[in-house]
Amino acid sequence: MKMRLILASVLIPLGIIIAAVPENTTKAYKLTAEELLVEAQEGAQFMSTDEIADALVQKDPSFRLIDVRAQDEYEKFHLPNAINIPLTDILSDEWADYLDQDVKMNIFYSNGNLKSNEAWMITRQLGFENNYVMQGGLNYWAETIMNPTAPASTSPDDEIAKYDFRKGASMALGGGSAVISNAKASTTVKPKIKKRKKKKKVAGGC
Amino acid sequence: MGPLVVNEFISPDTNLFLAFLIGIGFGFVLESSGFSSSRKLAGMFYGYDTTVLKVFFTAAITALVGMLFFSLFGWVDLDLIYINPTFLHSAIVGGVIMGVGFIMGGFCPGTAFCAISIGKLDALAFIGGLFLGIVIFTEGYPLFEELYKAEFIGAPTMNEILDIPRGVFALGLILVAFGMFWVGEWAEKKFPREEY
Repeated sequence: MKMRLILASVLIPLGIIIAAVPENTTKAYKLTAEELLVEAQEGAQFMSTDEIADALVQKDPSFRLIDVRAQDEYEKFHLPNAINIPLTDILSDEWADYLDQDVKMNIFYSNGNLKSNEAWMITRQLGFENNYVMQGGLNYWAETIMNPTAPASTSPDDEIAKYDFRKGASMALGGGSAVISNAKASTTVKPKIKKRKKKKKVAGGC
Repeated sequence: MGPLVVNEFISPDTNLFLAFLIGIGFGFVLESSGFSSSRKLAGMFYGYDTTVLKVFFTAAITALVGMLFFSLFGWVDLDLIYINPTFLHSAIVGGVIMGVGFIMGGFCPGTAFCAISIGKLDALAFIGGLFLGIVIFTEGYPLFEELYKAEFIGAPTMNEILDIPRGVFALGLILVAFGMFWVGEWAEKKFPREEY
């Protein structure tokens, strides 16, 4: 009897408190500032425009381009098959399934590196994987893929091969006019998709 | 930060070791609450002793409030806590078998081992039956498989089914628990039994 009163006087007020406070929905950050700094310095998030152009030409289904610029900029021009997730919307639930997944490689791009890198840092901090950044952004894309400059005729073979690939990609992707030389698209090595280690729930039982 | 093993604060082996210590603590509490007496356990069904109800519901609501506060303070991520998935039909059938065995044998699986640890021989028969049941189930699994896997409904929680905040459900359960304690003690007075 006495015991029940003691228990009740402890548990019922605690129950009232827990019923009154909102649920804690914060998620623990997955990376410390130091870890993020190391990753950012390594630059492992960058993918070159050549790799992306190659994937686009080959219609690689494992790639997904994400335009993080504002919607009006996206409507003016965007890369083929890119989807638009403006940086301001990146935390909305609507896009969570696109950003937090282990099936496709997401490649953020913006005009330069800045916004896409910001998008990468935010998603990385949330612990999402398979998100990358197009190095140099659209400006560099235009420079290297859309309007590649011809290397000098004395350049090494791989320089010329790269130029030929860029010309080919440019034509395929609707870029500037190009006269293709005896082109053979160089196959760039695609980075492997890192399989995310799924967090297993603790199994238990009576 | 929690659950510790999921977030790799401790290794699975350490986890097993902690489970071992908690298991010993659990057994100790069972024994010291008198759960190794089959009469006490059967008393739950006849109403002369409701210790089982009180101990288990106290444990449940204490753990419930504790986990919710841990979650509130950010110490544990409740999304990563394992919830036994529900197969509705096998849960009902299993519950009935367990209940009948409980009244007939006077033990539940855990308390049977408690009882044998203090040397009660009737628990031996119960544990023998327990192993027999395991053998029959595993050997006859193809027969039971359809029933076993019927009506899988995932791992829903009561507050999701009722569509209320989990804190409100917790408060409700605490009040219901104390209501049951009160009814239990009333029943103990109503159906007393001397010397069991």
